[in-house]
Amino acid sequence: MNKEQKFSEEFINAFVDDELTPDEKAQAYARLGDDETLNRQVCELRKVRDLVGLAYRNVPAPACGTSAVATGRKCSTAIAAGLALVVGGLGGWFLNPASRAPDNAAIAQASPAAEDPAKVLFHVSEGSPEHLKTVLDEVENLMKFYRQTNQKARVEVITNGGGLSLLMAGISPYADRIQRMQKEYHNLTFVACQNTIERIQQELGLQAKLLPGVVIIDSGVAQIMRRQNQGWAYIQV
Amino acid sequence: MDVFNFLGRTREARLKLEQHRQRLYRIAYAWTHNAALADDLVQETLAKALKKSGQLRDPNAGDAWLYSILANCYHDHFRRLRSAEEIDENTLTHESTPEKESSEQEIVLKVRAAIARLAEGQRQVVTLVDIQGLSYLEVAQILNVPIGTVMSRLCRARYALKDLLGELAPKLAAEETKIRRIK
Repeated sequence: MNKEQKFSEEFINAFVDDELTPDEKAQAYARLGDDETLNRQVCELRKVRDLVGLAYRNVPAPACGTSAVATGRKCSTAIAAGLALVVGGLGGWFLNPASRAPDNAAIAQASPAAEDPAKVLFHVSEGSPEHLKTVLDEVENLMKFYRQTNQKARVEVITNGGGLSLLMAGISPYADRIQRMQKEYHNLTFVACQNTIERIQQELGLQAKLLPGVVIIDSGVAQIMRRQNQGWAYIQV
Repeated sequence: MDVFNFLGRTREARLKLEQHRQRLYRIAYAWTHNAALADDLVQETLAKALKKSGQLRDPNAGDAWLYSILANCYHDHFRRLRSAEEIDENTLTHESTPEKESSEQEIVLKVRAAIARLAEGQRQVVTLVDIQGLSYLEVAQILNVPIGTVMSRLCRARYALKDLLGELAPKLAAEETKIRRIK
């Protein structure tokens, strides 16, 4: 390209975005030295690029209706998650006919009582037996604490990924303990992630059977966010 | 059958996908200027990505792959609604709320309003390049268009933005002049 030829606008943009080959870049730099118009053009394009970046550096968090929620999910997602909970639950029904959710498991949408119970969710995503034992120890300690102090509470143990092994029949090393805890504490729910179950089925061809009384939701992550949005305390174990 | 290994892998994939949430959300917001819709699109994108994550062999292709799912979700959404323009108009009125008055915020709102006025294709290209810093080639793959189209859309978008934001320049220049006079 000789001195009389003008760079195309696409070429100048590509220069600004560092998309040129070294040779082309050298040509552009050579021209920039004595071409005031080109200098100004490059400068303006850089300014536009920076402004676009600046304009979306902080974007508004998803809001619920008109009131913004700092970190939570918005209403429609929560509703979708609620629907998915039902759908997921039904899916789980077919997956494992032996599974029966306890009455307090449908709970999820319960309206806040006059005296709000403490609401705690445990998120379990790792599946080593030692880790799972720690989880159950912590959950049980908390349940005992609430019982001793006569406090109303609802506790959910949400499992996904590796954590699902806690609730899989034939795999969970603590099936008996979980059944005992379910009988002992009616305000305790064990929840399994449908996505993880599906992946096990798809990739391993394995029909994932769950322990009795386990509730299935569509996505562990969606459920966690929904719960946080509802004011549940989140504990990752 | 190694269930534990498999589940571990699943968890890793899920964590990786979650790390992308904020970046995807920023782009989805830039495309729609609607926090609720952007959030839905990202949720849908991550859900689809998670379902298909077994198909992804090249981990370096993760970013572009996710953005292309987002672009598909975005197009599907407007194909269903056929109301892309309405959203933009709503955004313009919604974002010019008087309670946000700091000068930086003012510039931010002006830029967003200008972006909202761009044609959809231009808006997608300019945000992917300028906000996310993706290369032209990546953007071409994400939007499934030739690289020449990316270049021309970007070019038109930037010049349109320059014109739309024209009034910012005199204001800044005037401020500079004032400072010189004081000296």
